[in-house]
Amino acid sequence: MKSNWMAALASAALLALSPTMATAQTAQPIELKGDVKVSKLVVENGKERQVLSEPKVVVPGDRLIFSTSYRNNGSETVRNFIVTNPIPNGVMLAPEGAEAHSVSVDGGKTWGKLASLSVSNGDGATRPAVAGDVTHVRWVLPEVAPGAEGKVTYNAIVR
Amino acid sequence: MNKYSRLLGTVGAAALAVLVANPALADGTAAGTTITNTVTVNYQVGGVSQTATGASNSFAVDRKVSMTVAEVGSSATQVSPGATKQVTTFTVTNNSNATLDFALTAGQLSGGAGAHGGTDSFDVTNVKIYIDTNNDGDYDDGVDQEVTYIDELGPDLNRTIFVVTDVPLSLTTGSVATVSLTATGREGGGAGSQGAALSETNTGSANEVDAMFVDTVFADAAGSDDSLGDGAHSARDDYSVLAAALTVVKRSKVISDPVNGTTNPKAIPGATIEYCISVANAAGSATASSVAISDPLPATVTYDSTYGIFVDGSVTSGECDANGSAGGSYDSGTSTVTGTLSSIAATETKTLRFRATID
Repeated sequence: MKSNWMAALASAALLALSPTMATAQTAQPIELKGDVKVSKLVVENGKERQVLSEPKVVVPGDRLIFSTSYRNNGSETVRNFIVTNPIPNGVMLAPEGAEAHSVSVDGGKTWGKLASLSVSNGDGATRPAVAGDVTHVRWVLPEVAPGAEGKVTYNAIVR
Repeated sequence: MNKYSRLLGTVGAAALAVLVANPALADGTAAGTTITNTVTVNYQVGGVSQTATGASNSFAVDRKVSMTVAEVGSSATQVSPGATKQVTTFTVTNNSNATLDFALTAGQLSGGAGAHGGTDSFDVTNVKIYIDTNNDGDYDDGVDQEVTYIDELGPDLNRTIFVVTDVPLSLTTGSVATVSLTATGREGGGAGSQGAALSETNTGSANEVDAMFVDTVFADAAGSDDSLGDGAHSARDDYSVLAAALTVVKRSKVISDPVNGTTNPKAIPGATIEYCISVANAAGSATASSVAISDPLPATVTYDSTYGIFVDGSVTSGECDANGSAGGSYDSGTSTVTGTLSSIAATETKTLRFRATID
């Protein structure tokens, strides 16, 4: 009797757990994978070549490429897929290519192309925003089909 | 190397904490700062909002060692022969992203082109390095302290450094002594003593992708007396000598003799001779002051005390003018005429005149 009771309790616990785990997996079909590489220009035979490497040695002024890979592992289409990426402290969005992104210069409250944004210059007036003012970058995808994957990236410079 | 991936549990409709915008940073993120890129993904499945986050692997910003030594001003320090405590001024700026000590050494060129033209032709002596203790930009004798290193210089900060030397005597105008100041990065962190020597550690293996591991990278430029990426920087400045270049000419003419009077007089016994010692200072020279003249008379002439001595007269067309102001003195014991001319500027000529009779 005693052992049966124990077994019953164990299976009850399992039963109680299983639905939760199952729910979690079906509710979170998106897999994310972040990465960062250091981008350096090396001159080989008189030609410049971009070389990506692990961020072993990174000093101010170095160029970085941050990327986030996503994949829909679920069986349902994911809609209104919005990747919001605060720019980490210590780096700034690289000016080159900055205009291609949807960015925010006010901590994620308002969004737009860099050229359309402005920031306070400290004395009540405003000035056009520059890449160094960007606080967030985001990507908006209408939908990600089951099995679909992709990668969003931005270039940054260590401040 | 460790890609960081995860499936996150349901967050539900919980409000996301909005990350505060990063404040404006000075150039050069501090060494050791950990950078992690974190994204938040919002999406809908079957009309239900979901949220997930993902992050990149973290890495530490490494230590970039860079400094600039620059000369203050863009011309040589003009010095007189024999001058002491002559100053050349430099600034040392810490362009690193960490607080460092900087060892200071002064060097001297042995020949070669000067920093501001000319050719290095002599060495200054008693070379010492001082720091601008009171930060007024000028060397203050007795106030600014002699140093061998800059202690605990923070990122983007700079100090003014003086190289203070003595100039040997017997140098001519245009002589150049070139000095250099080299600042070499040393470990910071211990106020009051010079930190240990730095070495680069940027040859790390893969496991150095560690949020805590801070490498050291030499990112300094090549200075006047050091190499690219050697953890040191240097600059040069010149001392340029501006001396007086004096030429002395002694002239004499017969003023009168007992036979002919002042008409075509001859140098016969009893004749009066006027001596004129002229001192000329060459063009481009420093002004000479307190030029002392001493002229022992030959035993065959007698000083004319009634005429006296005239100083600071002029010369016209190679002849001494009959001018000047009374001055100088005659020592009958040594039969010597002495006098002091006032300042003689470049291209100027001044005279000392007196008369004597032939015995």
